[in-house]
Amino acid sequence: MVRQKQPPKIDSSTQPMVEVKDVYKAFGDKAILKGVTFNVYPGEILGLVGKSGCGKSTILKILCGLLEPDSGTIRMHSDEVGLVFQGSALLNSYTVKENLAIALRRRKLSKQEQERIIAEKLELVGLRGFENKYPTQLSGGQQKRTSFARAIVNDPKIIFYDEPTTGLDPVISTVIEDYMNELEDRLNAASIVVTHQLSTWTRTADRVLLMHDGRIEWEGTPDEALISSNPYIQQFAYAKREGPLLDSTI
Amino acid sequence: MVSSVRSRNSIFRPIDIMVEQFGKACQLLGQCLILLFHTLKYIVRGEIDWRETWRQSYKIGVESCIVVSLTALFTGFAMSLQISRELVLFGADTAIGGVVSLALVREIGPITAGIMVAGRVGSSVAAELTTMMITEQIDALKVMRVDPVQFLVVPRFVAAMLMMPALTVYAMALGLVAGILIAYSAANVPAATFLDSVKQTILDRDFGTHFLKAWTNAILIIVISCAIGLRTRGGAEDVGIATTRTIVWTMTMLFVCNYIITAVTYAPR
Repeated sequence: MVRQKQPPKIDSSTQPMVEVKDVYKAFGDKAILKGVTFNVYPGEILGLVGKSGCGKSTILKILCGLLEPDSGTIRMHSDEVGLVFQGSALLNSYTVKENLAIALRRRKLSKQEQERIIAEKLELVGLRGFENKYPTQLSGGQQKRTSFARAIVNDPKIIFYDEPTTGLDPVISTVIEDYMNELEDRLNAASIVVTHQLSTWTRTADRVLLMHDGRIEWEGTPDEALISSNPYIQQFAYAKREGPLLDSTI
Repeated sequence: MVSSVRSRNSIFRPIDIMVEQFGKACQLLGQCLILLFHTLKYIVRGEIDWRETWRQSYKIGVESCIVVSLTALFTGFAMSLQISRELVLFGADTAIGGVVSLALVREIGPITAGIMVAGRVGSSVAAELTTMMITEQIDALKVMRVDPVQFLVVPRFVAAMLMMPALTVYAMALGLVAGILIAYSAANVPAATFLDSVKQTILDRDFGTHFLKAWTNAILIIVISCAIGLRTRGGAEDVGIATTRTIVWTMTMLFVCNYIITAVTYAPR
């Protein structure tokens, strides 16, 4: 079940692609992030896991520039960022091809070059022939794959996945997880995957951070997560009812 | 329980509600002005997506034709019938064309097209943008470093500026046709007499006011609907709230601004 691919070689000389240091964020009186610090390296998929409301998606939105942190520093060593949204977030009044073309707008490419890139990315996610379909004419899995193609259309060096397999059946989830691994191998990007799904983080992540109550509570590989005696990761990995994850809310 | 508390508040605290509504109005005004500034900035720079603008022009202009036709025609019928009846009593039936056309060019044409476009296009823009906000489509644009104002608002704004004058002229023309038909059937005034009266009454200045109102209506409809759409968050219920809010504000502001233009251009000196 755990990812078979060799993890990237990271040593003290490796420059992180994403640096998050002491990030705090509150909405009104409610503190969501309470000093989150981590790095992501090229070629690495970092799994950000935790129960709902622990701050995973907030950190992703801060990294994408959709939210401002109250304090702390974020350093991204590439301008090219791709984000796969939980709900695909495709523009419904545009075709699959046009959705990808929007992401290419600022590069001011020739029409031929644009078509070549779009065809290549759709080929990669197995959606050739769907260019002129509208998102509403696609299945959930096809929409998610289109969202993948859009996220990677500019060959980003940093890719974020927000719950990429939530709401999909196990077979399509496996297909999506395989795409994530394949993309990683091709692009050597630094990726963060925010997920609840056990199969997703165990099959794709090189390293896992468990967030709880706005803090990072545990860090390790998926293999370590499954055998760890840490009560937080144990409860999360084995979906136990008893444990510290529910204490603060129930 | 919650609704009963709300209704009790709305009955017994009218001052609080007025203060709250005034605050919301000021907030919306600020949002509209900022949005208008950003939109004009892109237009001045020439950063307009013409393909999307034509698509929006079709939606705003062509697809509004039927509703504008029906309302303009029946407003023209009703107005002409009332005017014909009164003028015939005074023996001034040759002036029917002039009076009908004055009303159509100065007020009825712009306001009829404005209301219909506000109802059809304003509500649809607000619902579309709110849905895009809720389903993270706007966030997706921002992540792709595409400014939603340039991508979504500018084409709609330019399309409305092109289509509104066309629709108001169309509404005015249909109103005149209705006037000719009614004048002939109710007061036995021939079309030539009717049109002669129109020519003698309408001044160039009236057309200036007509187009000024058309462009003002276009700005109000697009800016208010986009400002509300791009600021709404939440769920499905908020799409309905945003749509209703857009209709209420747009219609109100259409009447207020149309009156202001009339007062400025036709005030007795």
